[in-house]
Amino acid sequence: MKKLRELFYCAHFIHSHIAHFYALAAPDFVVGPDADPAKRNILGIVEKVGVPVASEVLKHRAIAQDIQIMISGRSTHPVWTLPGGVSKGITEDQRKEIVEKAKSCVEFARFSLKLFEDVVLKNQAYLDLVLSDTYEMDTYYLGTVDENNRVNFYHGDHRVVDQKGREVFRYKDHQYLEYIAEHVETYSYLKFPFLKKIGWKGLVDGPESGVYQAAPLARLNAADGMATPLAQAEYEKMYETLGGKPAKKTLATHWARLVELLYAAERMQELAEDPEVATTHLRNLPTAVPEEGVGIVEAPRGILTHHYRTDKNGLVTEANLIVGTTNNHAPISMAIKRAAQRIIQPGKEIGQGMLNMVEMAFRIYDPCFSCATHSLPGEMPLVVEVKNSDGEVIRRESRA
Amino acid sequence: MRTRIIGLGNTILRDDGVGIHAVRELRARIPKPRLEGEAEIIESEVAGFALMELMSGADRVILVDAIQFHDLQPGTVVQIDPGDLRTSLRLRSVHEIDLPTVLALGRRLGLTMPDEILVFGIQAEDALSFGETLTPPAARGMAEAVELVLHRIFET
Repeated sequence: MKKLRELFYCAHFIHSHIAHFYALAAPDFVVGPDADPAKRNILGIVEKVGVPVASEVLKHRAIAQDIQIMISGRSTHPVWTLPGGVSKGITEDQRKEIVEKAKSCVEFARFSLKLFEDVVLKNQAYLDLVLSDTYEMDTYYLGTVDENNRVNFYHGDHRVVDQKGREVFRYKDHQYLEYIAEHVETYSYLKFPFLKKIGWKGLVDGPESGVYQAAPLARLNAADGMATPLAQAEYEKMYETLGGKPAKKTLATHWARLVELLYAAERMQELAEDPEVATTHLRNLPTAVPEEGVGIVEAPRGILTHHYRTDKNGLVTEANLIVGTTNNHAPISMAIKRAAQRIIQPGKEIGQGMLNMVEMAFRIYDPCFSCATHSLPGEMPLVVEVKNSDGEVIRRESRA
Repeated sequence: MRTRIIGLGNTILRDDGVGIHAVRELRARIPKPRLEGEAEIIESEVAGFALMELMSGADRVILVDAIQFHDLQPGTVVQIDPGDLRTSLRLRSVHEIDLPTVLALGRRLGLTMPDEILVFGIQAEDALSFGETLTPPAARGMAEAVELVLHRIFET
């Protein structure tokens, strides 16, 4: 039953990573960061890579969602998980069908990594952008790992490594409050998680600051490798290009996202090939009313923590959720500022291209906070203020 | 003309599910023979790419969804132009795959996208609270939207 849940979760990662990379990240590289906004989208991708490739993108995203529907009944808002298990299993025929679909996803993930290599890594201007200090940060990194310190999305210890890649902390779900705290600023409803034992020192990086990243690149930085062979080979190739571990070039998060896509597909195939996944034992009935529980998984954009306290009837009395992108609130703020400071230079006209390159720093982590919170307007208003040495605003550019 | 009526929403977030409640009412009201011959009704929570797949293959699509415009009273029903970027959350899209992009993408990929798309938005009063019932204004708006859709289906 745990294998069935992890199988479902791999499918979730696949559809999410495909959508994030192709619809949200790839336009900046495939079409270009300076391209007309009207073309810097999925339609521009289709123009550049062609209809057959674009069709494969949508086909595999749909495959992943079909697998989710097959397992849980719905792709979005599944109502399938229960305390102690799930409400339905899969048949042997469905298991075999998922195996074939997983194989197709593996091939598609390999194709995606090849596309990234051809379009980004072999384009010197883009490679320079990825390796530049415009998109660089020197924080701690947090990710979930298995008993061999390899990336695991579903279950494991939560490992923190420092700026030199050394493990500094490791915690289990119920211990998270000993390691993670949340700083509040009056200008935002969104809190700033940080490493409690290091402390909050403001929006700064470095070993004295408790700021950490929790996105795909951070996950790979926090691990010693990937648990599946093809993804492991891509992991090694990535770090060789980036100059070792941990990688601090944050645009490489999109590359890490594709390595994770490959892992998710391989893991999905592994799980589907195991006949146990078509189990009829679907639930361990709870034997008592819990008073407190903590559950942590890796969400596509960062570690996801849910903490609940209940009354004697099992009704929730307190809840704390630290969701994927929230972990990265401090890094996002710092990344945008750093990008703006490096891109906007005296004498240079601030155009849409520059604004987009600032926004790219955000898009590493999430399309936008509206997307992370599923609220309107669903796009990112952007304001860039240029100040002189007296702190006076001398120039203001905005969008939306 | 084959019409596909798609109710969009999340039925555990009160008025956010008004589109789905509307199409359930339509399913009950449209005579079965007409439903089988001319129209099909789909309930869905999807957006973006998945909506493109849902719309392809139909001659006409009618979308019903909750909206949250700044200047409308709860329960107000508006017919929105598919190109109007104010649309609903699902149609405006959280990830820049909005309805106009979805339609253009579908056509570019060679899918048969509908010749006609009608979008009915029902202004929500509360689309954030957990609950399976509509607020009274949204329920009134739903009833009005149902009549509008029935009128459009049977007048053509």
